[in-house]
Amino acid sequence: MSTITVFQARKILTMNPAQPEATHVAVREGRILAVGDLARMATWGEYTLDTRYADAVLMPGLVEGHSHLMAGGLWQFSYCGFHARTAPDGRVWPGCRSFDEVVERLVAQDAQMSAAGAEPTAPLLAWGFDPIFFGTERMTVHHLDRVSLRRPVVVLHASQHLMNVNSAALAAAGITRDTDIEGIARFDDGEPSGELQEFAAMFPITRLVGNVFRITGASPAALRNFGRIAQLAGVTTATDLVNDLSDHNHAGLSEVTAEADFPVRLVPAFVSMDGSLNLDQSVARLRERQAQGNDKLHYGLVKLVADGSIQGFTARLRWPGYHNGAPNGIWIHAPAVLKSMVERFHREGFGIHIHTNGDEATELALDAVQAALEAHPRADHRHTLQHCQMANDAQFHRMARLGMCVNLFANHIYYWGEAHLAQTMGPDRAMRMDACANALRRQVPLAIHSDAPITPLAPLFTAWCAVNRLTSAGRVLGESECIAVADALYAITMGAAFTLRMDDRIGSIEIGKFADFCVLGDDPSTVAPEALKDVPVLGTVIGGRPLPLPTAAALA
Amino acid sequence: MSGAVLAPIGVTVIGGFLGAGKTTLLNQWLAQPQARRLAVLVNDFGAVNVDQALVLSQDARSLALSNGCVCCSIGDDLGTALIGLIESDPPPERIVIEASGVADPGRIAQVALADPALRLDGVLVLADASAVGEQLDDPLLHDTVLRQLRAADLLLLNRAEDLPAHGRSALHRRLDDLLPHTPMLVVSPGADTGALASTWLGQGGVHAAARHAESSCGCGHDDEPTSGHGHGHSHGPASRGEPVDHREVFETWHRPPGAVYSVAALRALLRQMPAGVVRLKGLIATDALGLAELQFAGRRGSLRPAQPGVTTDTGLVVIGLRGQLPAAALAEALSQAESTMTDGAAPATRTTTANTGSQAVAG
Repeated sequence: MSTITVFQARKILTMNPAQPEATHVAVREGRILAVGDLARMATWGEYTLDTRYADAVLMPGLVEGHSHLMAGGLWQFSYCGFHARTAPDGRVWPGCRSFDEVVERLVAQDAQMSAAGAEPTAPLLAWGFDPIFFGTERMTVHHLDRVSLRRPVVVLHASQHLMNVNSAALAAAGITRDTDIEGIARFDDGEPSGELQEFAAMFPITRLVGNVFRITGASPAALRNFGRIAQLAGVTTATDLVNDLSDHNHAGLSEVTAEADFPVRLVPAFVSMDGSLNLDQSVARLRERQAQGNDKLHYGLVKLVADGSIQGFTARLRWPGYHNGAPNGIWIHAPAVLKSMVERFHREGFGIHIHTNGDEATELALDAVQAALEAHPRADHRHTLQHCQMANDAQFHRMARLGMCVNLFANHIYYWGEAHLAQTMGPDRAMRMDACANALRRQVPLAIHSDAPITPLAPLFTAWCAVNRLTSAGRVLGESECIAVADALYAITMGAAFTLRMDDRIGSIEIGKFADFCVLGDDPSTVAPEALKDVPVLGTVIGGRPLPLPTAAALA
Repeated sequence: MSGAVLAPIGVTVIGGFLGAGKTTLLNQWLAQPQARRLAVLVNDFGAVNVDQALVLSQDARSLALSNGCVCCSIGDDLGTALIGLIESDPPPERIVIEASGVADPGRIAQVALADPALRLDGVLVLADASAVGEQLDDPLLHDTVLRQLRAADLLLLNRAEDLPAHGRSALHRRLDDLLPHTPMLVVSPGADTGALASTWLGQGGVHAAARHAESSCGCGHDDEPTSGHGHGHSHGPASRGEPVDHREVFETWHRPPGAVYSVAALRALLRQMPAGVVRLKGLIATDALGLAELQFAGRRGSLRPAQPGVTTDTGLVVIGLRGQLPAAALAEALSQAESTMTDGAAPATRTTTANTGSQAVAG
């Protein structure tokens, strides 16, 4: 006989407009049985009252509609970002607020490596660095040579398209003043400064360090790290938006999601980028996997990538193009090919998530979906545009008419808003970048995301970005696109769940849904909007199972 | 990383929009007898089509041929595929990378200029004559296709025979305007581009080049590859756009070893290379860098100190399209570039920082 547990909280924000608040929720067999006051709970028979959250606020477990499992894998390297972050092991890494602090952190890492008996030339790897927080000064070999003159030091930027290295790394990789390609930043005298941009310039270093940044993410250990990061952010359902669904990957996912204590439901999206699978084979693989999921493993999404990134100048823009005159970006697939891929996956019944950063790419994606719908009408498809940072009102309106959803990259406003204002988009388009209010005005189902590890996995921070639209310099970028706190909280729960076709099972606290909650130390619906990102996450519950946060104490 | 110093692996990038003929060309190249270990990286492994009799072994992502070629799927990361090839045992001597139909082959080619384990043999771009005009007119495709064409060290035009004569000449005029300095070859209908491969990929030493020049020349006069200034000759100007027999596609010219060149003058030459040079390379003595590797492909080049352990001055080998190689201009420019310094000492061109690198400053 299944037991009923009733959780009591100071307040429960249900995300159910018919019953927005409650104080108690009953859980049986991992699902929600009743929501309301204590009296309502009693109608279902005997229960156990759990008061551990009595002083806390419960919300539906947060839903991250665009993230990558690699966010778990990177933590094996030194974090040196500007803002503090909590690692999966519970340790809080303070932010590095100056180049000196980056150097200090890496000096300590170097000492640790030596003490542990690492080879003197074994590389020291770090990640999360973002020069935008340091004004105009760039990091160079002069800084990183203070870490070590012997050991190659490689610092991967947050965007992952740039690195900073030291002289030892340049020498070991054979990059010199005579290496005459784009992407090698130089001092006035022509010597490489240690900053390397994009694939070709980074390749010799990539080879030197054995391509390690790339191969994180797939192992069960990395998956469990991802789970911990999700817990720390209050997330109980997250996507892995680039996954080949290979036997190897599926095996790892199956193993880990079958564990009772694995804290997050994973939604891997199949990416058809590997030339070894054609469309027929891709469809077959998706169908095979759809039958192999479980409550915490949901297959069925397809991811297609149309263009690159705006801050990398590889997104496809309409007139007038990049604000600083840079040439237009790149297509990942020829337009006709993208259209035929959309048509095929649409016809086969899958949900398609299309990465489009520039508005020309967005327009193409809209054309592709429209053509697919005209050829094969299909109710409730929920195809979703991901990032979609430069869409205008006409495009949002079109999304609505086509029955599409949008997942906007609200975090970009904070992390790259100043760069978009000054270099990539210019004022008119930067003011309406990631236009959440526009999406809501046109009634396009809205989600917002982090694209972790590109920006940190933290939906409350993402909600804060959508509400406040503050850049890292403290400027409000387009006040008319700010959305209400209630709408932002809905976007990081039901909004995201809807794009994943899981709104019947997650996203709100209602009878029948999975008992997935996030436990907060404050009420996000009543704190000052500027303080939304600071609401502390105290824990999560998945399928009715309370899980301790991976604090250092808990893991000791 | 291996302690042995290996010669850099020559990299060729094959670019061009979808349908330009890249797969057909690669299939033909794979079937050629190969003097060197060749690895071909392709985007669509399923489209690879070679005579089964040549296949030694095959799996889902790669195949090995009896002529020494391997062909591999790029998979989802070119970096991973390249590292795999560089670190294989034995590594290939030549790598051909198929750029995707929408990629910029020039950007991909930069990886061969960045990594000392690689060397750039050049960028070949294919275009479908019957479609490229429309592609250039398509606002969604224009800049992508133009970028590809501009990256070409050599442009191969397929299916020109599908255009009516006036369409062909209009296209040639348009390409001349857009790409005034790019050597262009019209591929004859049904031609096997494999012969191109043997020159393009086979260029290694002086003697191989000279042998090829002799054998393909066919005009009967004496060739003296080791004397003075090479034998740059032509059969009359091959007018742009005329289909050329593949057996006589290229001509080569040779600058023998022995001279010492000024680094500054060589760098100036790289920036102002006479038109018609498809590729130039060799190991030569210089004033400021000692023995150095000079290479030029299409529009850009590099001058780097020779790898440690490489000690032979080989002179220079130059390839151009038959009838278009600027032999006289090159001879003049290289003579002018010979160093006038009378002693061996030279101003260093590199500032010495806290130098812990294993590569000695050239001297």
